[in-house]
Amino acid sequence: MNTRPLTPLLALILLVALVVTLFPIFWIVMTALKPPTDWNAAPAIWIPSEPTLINFLTLFDPEAIGAFGVGGISESATAAVFGSILTSTCATLISVGIGFFAAIGLSRYTRVNRFTPLFILSGRMFPPAAIAVPFVIIFSAIQLIDTYVGLIAIYVAITLPFATWMLKSFVDEVPREVEEAAMIDGQSRLMAHLTVTAPLIKGGLFATTLFIFILNWSEFLFALVLSYSNIETIPIRLAKYVTATAGTLFGVQAALAVLAMAPLIVAGFLIQKHLARGMTFGAVKR
Amino acid sequence: MKNHVSIQAACESFDAGLLPRRTFLKSLAALGATASVANYIASSPAGASTALATISGPEERAWALAKEMAAKADKKTLTLLIPTGSIGNMTPYADKWKDELGITLEFIEEPDEVVHTKGMQEAVAKTGRYDIMMPTAMSYPDWIDSGVIYDLTDWTEAYNPELFSPEFGVVFPASHHAQLYNGRVAGLLNDGDQITLLCRSDKMAQKAKAFEDAYGRPVGVPDTWKEYHELAQFFHDPDNGFFGSLEYRSRYYVKWMFMQRLMSKGMLYFDGDMNPTFNGDEGVAAIEDMLAVNEYLHPDAFSFTWSSNYNAFGRGEGFMNIVWPSGFKYSKAPSTGPATTGNIAATVMPADYTKSGEKLYAGLFCWGYGYAVSRYSENPELAYAYAQWMTSPTIGADAIPYLGGYSDPYRVNHMKAPTERLIETYSPEYLNTLYENMVNTVPDFCLPGGFEYQDALDKEIHAAMTSDKQPKQALDDAAQAVDRITRRVGREKVQASWLSLAQKLADPIKRASGADKWA
Repeated sequence: MNTRPLTPLLALILLVALVVTLFPIFWIVMTALKPPTDWNAAPAIWIPSEPTLINFLTLFDPEAIGAFGVGGISESATAAVFGSILTSTCATLISVGIGFFAAIGLSRYTRVNRFTPLFILSGRMFPPAAIAVPFVIIFSAIQLIDTYVGLIAIYVAITLPFATWMLKSFVDEVPREVEEAAMIDGQSRLMAHLTVTAPLIKGGLFATTLFIFILNWSEFLFALVLSYSNIETIPIRLAKYVTATAGTLFGVQAALAVLAMAPLIVAGFLIQKHLARGMTFGAVKR
Repeated sequence: MKNHVSIQAACESFDAGLLPRRTFLKSLAALGATASVANYIASSPAGASTALATISGPEERAWALAKEMAAKADKKTLTLLIPTGSIGNMTPYADKWKDELGITLEFIEEPDEVVHTKGMQEAVAKTGRYDIMMPTAMSYPDWIDSGVIYDLTDWTEAYNPELFSPEFGVVFPASHHAQLYNGRVAGLLNDGDQITLLCRSDKMAQKAKAFEDAYGRPVGVPDTWKEYHELAQFFHDPDNGFFGSLEYRSRYYVKWMFMQRLMSKGMLYFDGDMNPTFNGDEGVAAIEDMLAVNEYLHPDAFSFTWSSNYNAFGRGEGFMNIVWPSGFKYSKAPSTGPATTGNIAATVMPADYTKSGEKLYAGLFCWGYGYAVSRYSENPELAYAYAQWMTSPTIGADAIPYLGGYSDPYRVNHMKAPTERLIETYSPEYLNTLYENMVNTVPDFCLPGGFEYQDALDKEIHAAMTSDKQPKQALDDAAQAVDRITRRVGREKVQASWLSLAQKLADPIKRASGADKWA
């Protein structure tokens, strides 16, 4: 493979891009390691001289930060972390699962007109705020408000169009002939798609899964309006770290943000080979 | 010593039910014993109720009602929707409610900026998940109109929470505009969000002579906005990281800085026919005052939230600050106000002159949490009993000083006959200042569509502060937006509410604004 040499200009551009990309992460990590006295210090403290894990401990033991004279946190973040893992994982698996078969249907068995994929995406064209209250009313009536099932259902509904669209572009790139060959060898249509199509678009499946998971993981509005006290997710808990004695608890918020980022970074790292392929898959039309 | 024995005897008589509460408090006040009362009351989280359970006050009536309703209730939980950060004033009483009434208090915290929305959401969802909701006074009109909360008037008449008592009631006029909607009780206030002005007394002492040489008068807390400007100018020392004032210029907060100045000039937001009046000469002058002060403000003034503002002042980065009572608490406590503890001189908001040349002191009551009872509660009367009990003269006084809550003094006795814990938390001087400011206060837009009015004004004031618009243009645009809101919400409805509110302002404000002549 030909590689272009790294010119000084290119290196500079890359460096600037890296700084812009990584600085917020650096700042969040540093804030997560600062004691309360350093959160708002002026001038700002870039690297804490006495790094502490107190903010992380406070997430699961709200009393821990009392050692620094900060009180007023009433709940641990355990339920929020659990809620985020549960809703994001379930919603992502369901969304990608349904999206995969929808993509196959649209790509391989289409007798629908060319606007059908657009119609599927049209559900995402409404601003979420416009449909949040109707969902509240409907979900109240069917007893799904303040339940994980309700939140998962909403997340599936709002991410399925993306999953379908993304996966359709990957399926389109797989030659029909390989699936037909499998069918000639005796496989059913379903098995042919599961054993041939799915492995061939593995990169796309990983990329789509990660993308949908990020959407679900960071979703705020629906979680806010559909939750009362039985369910909670990380974005909702982040907004609640305000106390009368210390104002916004930037360090604790940062600690939870670091925890929230961690699984995405780890997942991205583990599947980066597939991710790179998935992101470029389908970029060139046959 | 003799005094101490007398106090002890009064307390014992009181506990035994031999003294009515008024007599008890009066006799202790006569003995100069507010501090002892506080100690007595403060000995346990629910000490006040131990002392007062035997007398006939709002606390006792509320407790009796709570007992009766708790016994009847199938659902043994009271669920409260509260703003994040306010729980500390309520949790000390949870065990008492559980142990003595069998009622579990469940708190659902939401970010303060979404509490209003959550209430409106409940109006359509009707889940019954909340028994009590804790909004600001601005939420009541919309919540009452949407049917999500009870009109509490019948209960207040039956159980008399003494909202308007001259000795123990909520300070007038907050007693009306922060609790009533169209003359009916919509919620019970638990938070005296009156803004006051703080100055650095140590800096004044250090530069007394230089100031007098420069301005020909002794240095002191500002009496007028002109003096405020001069002090900001004189003490502004950006080279040393010290700024004239820390007042807000950030979105969401900046409108209050404007509203305060507007009222100091004797102008309200609307006339008697609901036409906006803030875009007149006084409004433009208020904006120009603000622009003139901008150069002496802390560099973070355009991004301050209440917590970053309090922190900056506590670190010693400015000479003056306009704060809620919690800001005084912050500045007084060594942990949050390392540079300001012991160095604060508080005063009422500066005066200005009306068109007729009259000097006017006006305050601004902005925010102010209170308890409202959900229409969809399974135990609404029990919920009301909780609200009355928590906001009663003594339990309220007991609850306010707890850390981890937003509650600030709101009843007359909290300021005029404070407990020792209140004194320790605020200081007698500050409590007196707070009272003096609160008696001349003007409310937020406590009207139907109140949050929309505020947002419309805030957006334009901010545009004027950032020089995106000329003052007059910004105010005219705000007036247009406000007019649109009035038309959409319903002019007659808003006007009725506005007139009802304007009737219950302090006399000097009514006279200055002409509201005393409105039909």
